[in-house]
Amino acid sequence: MKTIRLILALTLLAATAVPSYGQAKKKQVLNLFCWSEYVPQEVIDGFTKETGIKVNTENYASNEEMLSKLLAGGSKYDLIQPSEYTIEALIKKEKLDALTLENIPNLKNLDPKFTKMPHDPEGKYSVPWMAGTVGIVVNTAKVKTPITGYKDVFAGTHKRRIVVLNDSREIVSWALATLGISANDMTPENLEKAKPILATWLPQVKVYDSDSPKTALLNGDVDLGIVWSGEAAILWKKNKKFSYVLPAEGAHQFIDSLAIPKGAPNKENAEKFINYILKPEVSVRISGEFPYTNPNAEAVKLLKPEQRDNPASYPPGAPKLETFKDIGAAAKEIDKLVTDIKGRK
Amino acid sequence: MQAALGAPDTSGTRRPGLFGWLLMTPMLLWLFAFVVAPTLILLVYSFCERDDLGLVVYSFTWDNYRRIFFDSDTGEFGTTYLTVFVRSVIYAGLTTVICLVVGYPVAWYIGRAPESRRNLLLTLVMIPFWTSFLIRTYAWITILSTNGLLNSFLQYTKLIEEPFDMLYTPGAVVLGLVYSYLPFLILPVYGSVEKLDNSLVEAAFDLGAGPVRAFQKVIIPLTQPGIVAGVLLVFIPAIGMFAISQLMGGGTDPTIGEVIQNQFMQARDWPFGAALGMTLVVMFAVAFWFTSRRQEAVPG
Repeated sequence: MKTIRLILALTLLAATAVPSYGQAKKKQVLNLFCWSEYVPQEVIDGFTKETGIKVNTENYASNEEMLSKLLAGGSKYDLIQPSEYTIEALIKKEKLDALTLENIPNLKNLDPKFTKMPHDPEGKYSVPWMAGTVGIVVNTAKVKTPITGYKDVFAGTHKRRIVVLNDSREIVSWALATLGISANDMTPENLEKAKPILATWLPQVKVYDSDSPKTALLNGDVDLGIVWSGEAAILWKKNKKFSYVLPAEGAHQFIDSLAIPKGAPNKENAEKFINYILKPEVSVRISGEFPYTNPNAEAVKLLKPEQRDNPASYPPGAPKLETFKDIGAAAKEIDKLVTDIKGRK
Repeated sequence: MQAALGAPDTSGTRRPGLFGWLLMTPMLLWLFAFVVAPTLILLVYSFCERDDLGLVVYSFTWDNYRRIFFDSDTGEFGTTYLTVFVRSVIYAGLTTVICLVVGYPVAWYIGRAPESRRNLLLTLVMIPFWTSFLIRTYAWITILSTNGLLNSFLQYTKLIEEPFDMLYTPGAVVLGLVYSYLPFLILPVYGSVEKLDNSLVEAAFDLGAGPVRAFQKVIIPLTQPGIVAGVLLVFIPAIGMFAISQLMGGGTDPTIGEVIQNQFMQARDWPFGAALGMTLVVMFAVAFWFTSRRQEAVPG
């Protein structure tokens, strides 16, 4: 009798459990793995409202951190937001799923300048999210001497008044730029040449911050920064004393994109999201919150004049820009170089 | 008493029975899953290499340990990472001393307060934990920055002309560490103080000891278990802490926790991070073995 009751109870339990499991399955989700401070909550909410797809977001602060978590496995992401050189590496290692381009009709809105770039020549794996540069922010209320390039920042007169990105590859590429060497030419000999320069530069830095380098500038803790252009644009919007300078020696142009990792459980939802953010009226909202260079030509038309005039978002003239390529094993040597110099101090 | 505290009883006269082992099983499983197994993985990784994308490749190498102790250019004994270790020990040591000096009187006061008030005071010590640790650290940034609350206040009251450089200095790091870990010292010391038998202190006074002597010879030895527990609870996590030195120190004087964290995230060099982690574990083990031997050697 007791056994029968137990079986009955268990069946009942199973009966109630199964439908709810079914419902949970029907609930559509998208696991988005993106940069911190890059995808406005407003856009995520709008997407959920339009499609009913729930978005789970997880953030990272560097391409390398994203790679660590992506390749360690365990978590299944549907959509990631790598920069150009990381896309190149991921394509090389066959870690990305090709996009079904028919599912993303809004691709037509993109400015052809930003599509089919060297890191993804056929435009099969990635869709540009925002482009930008790494340049110098000058607090002109404090710094009266003209700043035109990296050499002026690290001339020694602004010791401990500088914030830079906490990103080894960026830092080394600046030193190479002063020698006229390409950021993609990371040979051991070139790294050797960069070493003495970095040994004099790094002790002058007060803050390393990739997440929100604008904080130290806004708080008055530093007067100069080498930061993402979007951060610079926000500073300029807040106060015109923060001017943005693209280094005369040459600057890094990054193309942050959306891509779908191999084995993504909700690929279709990821493509829906890509298509959603490519709508001009959505894209223009992203620009409103994170004023990088918008690769969406239709969205740029909708920008307010003061947004389009922001020199950090849409730099005037024809600056010397270069995108990063995948450098493979040299990444380790670069980090070793920077870590050792930082530690030695 | 002292021997029982200092070293485990190894004479084997009181081996745990089956029931004892059963009771210990959850703890042993926990220790195995979250201490022994991860340490073994770390040990294996520390002798591996990484590939282009930063994945661990299982081929044996001493390189990671060589990089810690030797200069990569000259091949001679290198002090780069030793400096990082020493800096972390100094930060953690300073933090512990300040926590002890500040926390002991507080714990004493709470422990000696009337029972009705004790709970209120203890709650006050714990209230900061109700807020996320990161938010509390960011709050310090708004207080200490050049245009921050403290500098603005000091300038407004004409106490200073120019703002002080407070944030992104070693002092800020130690302040952040003390702020975060102070409750971890107060609580165990409070536990000892609360249990302290007041008649023993009175006896010391009756036998002619002054306040200093009574404190030295009676109160400190009796609250020693709390002090030891508190010091360990502050010192050990403070050595590995990376968020505070990054956020409040600006990341310019890296601590060992920061360097290790960086290897696993930014640099994507897990083997080297593992080697640094193992070195830290070995240093702790040696220090522990050394101190427990000394405690045995000096009875009473």
